[in-house]
Amino acid sequence: MKLLKIENSQGYFLLDNSKYASVDKITKEDLLRLVNLTLESEVDFDEFTDDNLKNQAHQIIYKSIYDKLNGLKERRDEFKDESARLYLKEYDRYRGESS
Amino acid sequence: MKKIDLHIHTMPTISDKEFSFSIDKLKSYVSSAAIDAIAITNHDTFDRNQFMMIKEAVDAIVYPGIEVNLETGHVLIISDGADLDAFWAKTALVSKKITKIGESISVDELKEIFDDLNDYLVIPHYDKTPEIKGEILERIIGYVSAGEVDSAKKFIRAIKDNSRLTPVLFSDARISDELRQLPTRQTFVDIGDLTLKALKACFRDKNKVSLSEKDGNKLFQIFEDGQKISTGLNILLGERSTGKTFTLNRISESNKNVKYIKQFSLVQQDDEAHERDFHKDISRERSKFMEGYLSEFKVVLNDVVNVDLQRNERLIDKYISTLLKSAEEVERKDSFSKTALFDETEFTTSEDPVLNALIRSVKQLIENVEYHSIIEKHLDINSLKELACELIEILRKKNDERKKRNFINSIIRDIKEMLRVRTSSTQVEDIDLYRIKMDFKKIEKFEEITKFLQKEAVISEENVQRFRVVASRAPFNGAGEVKLVSRSRVAFSDAYKDYNQPYKYLQSLVNIESLDPSELYKYFVKIDYKILNKHGYEVSGGERSEFRLLQEIKDAQDYEILLIDEPESSFDNIFLKDEVNKIVKEISKTMPVIVVTHNNTVGASIGADYCVYARKEFEGTDIKYRLYSGHPTDRELVSQDGKQLSNFDVILNSLEAGDQAYNERRKGYEAIKDRK
Repeated sequence: MKLLKIENSQGYFLLDNSKYASVDKITKEDLLRLVNLTLESEVDFDEFTDDNLKNQAHQIIYKSIYDKLNGLKERRDEFKDESARLYLKEYDRYRGESS
Repeated sequence: MKKIDLHIHTMPTISDKEFSFSIDKLKSYVSSAAIDAIAITNHDTFDRNQFMMIKEAVDAIVYPGIEVNLETGHVLIISDGADLDAFWAKTALVSKKITKIGESISVDELKEIFDDLNDYLVIPHYDKTPEIKGEILERIIGYVSAGEVDSAKKFIRAIKDNSRLTPVLFSDARISDELRQLPTRQTFVDIGDLTLKALKACFRDKNKVSLSEKDGNKLFQIFEDGQKISTGLNILLGERSTGKTFTLNRISESNKNVKYIKQFSLVQQDDEAHERDFHKDISRERSKFMEGYLSEFKVVLNDVVNVDLQRNERLIDKYISTLLKSAEEVERKDSFSKTALFDETEFTTSEDPVLNALIRSVKQLIENVEYHSIIEKHLDINSLKELACELIEILRKKNDERKKRNFINSIIRDIKEMLRVRTSSTQVEDIDLYRIKMDFKKIEKFEEITKFLQKEAVISEENVQRFRVVASRAPFNGAGEVKLVSRSRVAFSDAYKDYNQPYKYLQSLVNIESLDPSELYKYFVKIDYKILNKHGYEVSGGERSEFRLLQEIKDAQDYEILLIDEPESSFDNIFLKDEVNKIVKEISKTMPVIVVTHNNTVGASIGADYCVYARKEFEGTDIKYRLYSGHPTDRELVSQDGKQLSNFDVILNSLEAGDQAYNERRKGYEAIKDRK
């Protein structure tokens, strides 16, 4: 699933209806959706270069989100582990004993 | 009955002071104290060779053991020694994990290393620092045979309290030539064969452990020669210069945490100094009381002191002004300021303390050992486990969400900053209205609490025998009174103008640089602390000494042994009989007390449990100080080397100046009584 793409020198992000919108319209709720997708699904992003994205406002937003989501994708396992470690011992013990 | 000491150190480790072990000292300890079994329990280490050497040399059963640093406290793991190599290998794993001060192993590691802990005697430090308690104790409780305590007082307390483990008292001694007195802390066990299995069975029954061989828990050993005293009330009699004070000093030196009220220490010798001391005591008590009473207020104040209303106002101003300006500029927006993120606000994120606390509480319900049967009677443990799992699942989800939101907030901040530098448009300042509103609420609450606190009231009234200790609160009446509390030269007159507006007053106090911020809570309400006599008046000079003595005796509750040297030297008989005897008798129900006296009001009327008589005896040209002891109803008092004295003679000589004087006095009293 492509979350961020570049077309005609413009940056786009994936909406929840499988369509894309221009990155200058992105809000924090959209970002939250992209983060969830990055953590839960196989995702990719069009790579950003100074040449393929001309609009400077798009450059700023696209580059930042691209870097962050890429970073998150790499740390996906770590994120899941940390969350699963919360009360792990108790959880496993009680789950095992109560079922 | 067998006598055991299963906690002995024979090697200095990082957890000890340096000492050099002496096998001769250990041999002499075991033989003079007639100990049947010992255990070698060094900190986080076990030396097989040294153990074998000790086992060969000592005339007692010697168990191999180790004292392990387990998370927050210490626990003894003692083996039967059947497979010494295996035990050695296991202890080596402990040593490997604990190489520096402060290191410890976890319960899981302990279980992993020792495999089945049921194969060992597991004895945690129980009422003894560093103690194993709470969750850690609960996790090993199934393997624990007994709990180690470090005084006779704690031993008795554990014996009497059914909810507590069977106590054991061991020396925990470092055996070296420098050891001045041989240890006196051991436990007697009612057991036939001394095997680990039998010991375990014995520890299951509190009636089978005791502090003395023949007298159960009524007596315990105090000196290395075998001298015992009562775990309750002892009187120590004797003529002048027979070693009574010397005996008290010895007890004081060889025991930890002893409360010693020395002779004449409370007597009024110099009026001015005495009054000063008394007021110092009262002032200390007042500070202690005030700190306790105001501790919750202090927490509130410390929170409120961090609220910066001016900053909040600035933030609101900035938000409004940038919002208006941005609206004005709407027509002139460029490609940067037109982006949605340019004015995006951040997600609010906060921890969920309630959910965390709830999970901990459910966990306690599931894991509590002490009240397990009651909990189980009312609640289905399996349902509780399911509940815990469900709550944990919610917590994990919420945590994930919070992490994501924090992550997105950082993206928003970055992008906004980058967009801002590229445009001339005004960016709307973000604002956390939730926090700002909460700050206002905090101040409202603070004002409410403070006003309530400043209402006049008696907040505590306590009777200490014939005295009444009254604590009351009232608003400060003028800056001078605040200054008195601060004990400084700081001028409070400006700040005090705002006294009726607590938050403003707090701000004024914060601005006085020389005031310690952690003390500010003291300047909001005046706490008065008075000692009144039975007529309701403040106490006089003589009454002050009496009050101080009663207070000192009462304070002894926090100690292991109470020693009082000749209370009669400072007080009248009525006070001794009505007050001192009563309070001493009462406190002796929970701890050993030793009172030195010549006075019949104390000595004969107090109802002692045990009597010790100190005597200076001439043997040829040598002087020998000897202690004779026995129960008050015993015919004879007996010394450790078997000498005997008539109890009757001792009592009459010590307290009544002899039989003849006693009878003459009695006749005298009768003559006065019969006179019409």
